[in-house]
Amino acid sequence: MNDARPLRVAIADDAMLLREGIAKVLEGGGIDVVASVGTGDELLEVVRGGGIDAAVLDIRMPPSYRDEGIVALEAMRAEGSTIGVLLLSMYATPEYALRVMGAGSGTGYLLKERVSEPQTLVRAVETVASGGSVVDPEVVEQLVKRTRADDPLSRLTERERSVLELMAQGYSNGGIAQTLFLGLKTVETHVRSILQKLDLEESPEHHRRVLAVLTLLGER
Amino acid sequence: MMAPGRRGRILRRTIIIAAVVALTLTMEISGFVATPEELRPEVSYVTLHTMVALVYAACAGVAWSLGPTPVPARMMVAFAVLWIPVTFFRVIEDIGWLWPLVYGAHLWWAAVPTLLPLVYPRGRLSGRIDRWLVGIVIGASLVFFLGAVLLLTGPPNPERCDCAPNPYQIADAPEVFAAINLGYRYIGALVALVIAGRLLVGWVRGSIPARAVAFLMPLALVAWTATLAAYAVTESVSATADNVLDTVSLIAIASIPVSFVAGVGHTRNMRSRVADLMRITREGADRGLWAESLARTLRDASVRVYWWDEERGRYADAAGEPIEQGPAERRERHDLLPVSSPTGMPIALIRHDKVLTDNMRLLDGVSSALRLSVDNGRLRSEIERTLEQVRQSRQRIVEAGVEARRRIERDLHDGAQQHLVSLGMRLRLAANAARDTDEVALATELEGTIQMLNMALRELRELAHGIHPSLLSSGGLALAVPEVAGRCPVPVEVDVQAEGRLPELIESTAYFVLAEALANVAKHSGATRGWVRAYVVDEELELVVRDNGSGGASLDGGTGMLGIADRVDAVGGTLDIESPRGAGTTLTARIPLGGPLAE
Repeated sequence: MNDARPLRVAIADDAMLLREGIAKVLEGGGIDVVASVGTGDELLEVVRGGGIDAAVLDIRMPPSYRDEGIVALEAMRAEGSTIGVLLLSMYATPEYALRVMGAGSGTGYLLKERVSEPQTLVRAVETVASGGSVVDPEVVEQLVKRTRADDPLSRLTERERSVLELMAQGYSNGGIAQTLFLGLKTVETHVRSILQKLDLEESPEHHRRVLAVLTLLGER
Repeated sequence: MMAPGRRGRILRRTIIIAAVVALTLTMEISGFVATPEELRPEVSYVTLHTMVALVYAACAGVAWSLGPTPVPARMMVAFAVLWIPVTFFRVIEDIGWLWPLVYGAHLWWAAVPTLLPLVYPRGRLSGRIDRWLVGIVIGASLVFFLGAVLLLTGPPNPERCDCAPNPYQIADAPEVFAAINLGYRYIGALVALVIAGRLLVGWVRGSIPARAVAFLMPLALVAWTATLAAYAVTESVSATADNVLDTVSLIAIASIPVSFVAGVGHTRNMRSRVADLMRITREGADRGLWAESLARTLRDASVRVYWWDEERGRYADAAGEPIEQGPAERRERHDLLPVSSPTGMPIALIRHDKVLTDNMRLLDGVSSALRLSVDNGRLRSEIERTLEQVRQSRQRIVEAGVEARRRIERDLHDGAQQHLVSLGMRLRLAANAARDTDEVALATELEGTIQMLNMALRELRELAHGIHPSLLSSGGLALAVPEVAGRCPVPVEVDVQAEGRLPELIESTAYFVLAEALANVAKHSGATRGWVRAYVVDEELELVVRDNGSGGASLDGGTGMLGIADRVDAVGGTLDIESPRGAGTTLTARIPLGGPLAE
């Protein structure tokens, strides 16, 4: 992506073991870990200090162990920070994913266990740092699995469904083409067809597209 | 069983009274007819004489129905039977074996008006002296009977008797019989006076219940004995004076049973007011009202109720004033009735007029009512206290359960899950290192392990979610309800209108009620659609789970409904199940937000 200089990342997690592990994984992927803290508030301090491209943070942190990570994200956005923010969670909770996407572009939501997949984690950090969106496949899986009466997804073909799942995870058309071994044109055709069938507006912005798809899936 | 017995008793008594009345009328009329015209007494006298027996018969009927024992009524019946007019001897003078016996008994009636006041009002004798008096009267009556049967040639009055010979006669000693006759009358008059005196003393002391009515009894006794004395003193009085004495005597005799039943009836009326007290007791009256009702029941405005104050170990009235140790004069007029519980614990002290002391049944009733009232109150408050304790302990248990689930989930999250995630990460680093050093087999082995680890993590995640969904803690029902509805294999429409957060116990109760209800929908109902609604209205969370399945769900159907009902119940809510067969099921749980849960 940006080859000029390595990404500068701050990590916030109350478990030191994980903090160190994440740092190791990211450094292994050529990313600079410049700060490592235990709470959302400390992270906010670091972000306010500037010089950070992205933050990786746990959702559940002290003091209440609920949604401190998302609260911190919302605080950053409220303060005008546009750095990439990747939230890690032990649970794949679609409601959280929607909240994270709703906070704006350059956000991601991954299951914690993805730290054992270095490329996934590194790529997610790179994606959010460059303003893209990332949603854990398991969240998408849960949303798609949800049962609804009069399901609009039933109008999609098998292939379109796979494309939709990747769209929801934050993949660009190019990324989808690569993942599914399809031509870019084919993917674009599928995407247009999907958006039409689901009554979604085509949006040039990645994160808005992800949010729209997630919202559709969640509200279906 | 009771009714026929009672009806039989009433029938028997009616027959007895009718027979007695018939006997009286027979004796009076036949005697009157059998007497030669010139010797007949005046019709007015005969009428009055007959009336006396009829009054006794009538009073016997009343006394029987009033109780408390059948003794007074039997005495009155006996009176009517023994009330033999002297003219009757004209009828039986030819029956030699009969008339001496009848004559021997023809004054026995006098024992009834004499002794009747002794059994007032309880229907039995109460003291040694009373028993002695009865003994004297019976003894004297027997002596008179034997004297008459064994010594008489013919009834001395009327003098001209054409009697058949007395078969029992053993000696012809008219003077001896005359002495016995006189002695019998003196002894009778004396006993009557003693009884009248005792009654009067009791009356003045105030120990005779229904004083106003009962006053007639000693008065009648005195009047009667006075006429006896007058007969004795003035052997040769004019016919008019004789008539007056007769009338006074008869009226006095007749007024005794009337006075008796009136007094007993009055006392009984008091007892029905005790029944009123019982009613007040049932309604759970407070102490002030109790004392007031008691005063009204006993017709004694000076009644005071002192309640036992357990803390201070003394009696005090409803206002908390301790019992007054009044001057001796006041204690003279009042008696104290202690009331204690069946276990011997003092309850109260009733200070009442001495007049009431002898009316034990009334006071028994009053103290029973009081005991019942206090016992009722005590039981009620004990039950309420126990129930409240149970309610609180159940809530504590439920709260502890919720807390335990939350803690387990958090321990899993912060402990096992974190460790497994770290472990996966290290395995990944190791695998990468192995791949870098071309140890392909090791790298493959490690990567396989990572996959297994991730599967374990996935299972652990589901487990932790089932124990306590983290979304509920952080997002409340607004987020958790759609989430749990989305997990149901049956499509469910969700409508949640619950602004802000509710108390944790209520949220978790609602969540698990919903989860169990939806599990039922998925497992048992055969439904193709479901609806969930969670509204907060009027300080109440209303949770409705509806499906279009086969219905027929009930609390005892073993379909998890009981568990749902228990959960709702534990937080003070209610659960309605509407599940007609073949027409779906609607569960409505209403959980109060305030009430016992508001901390």
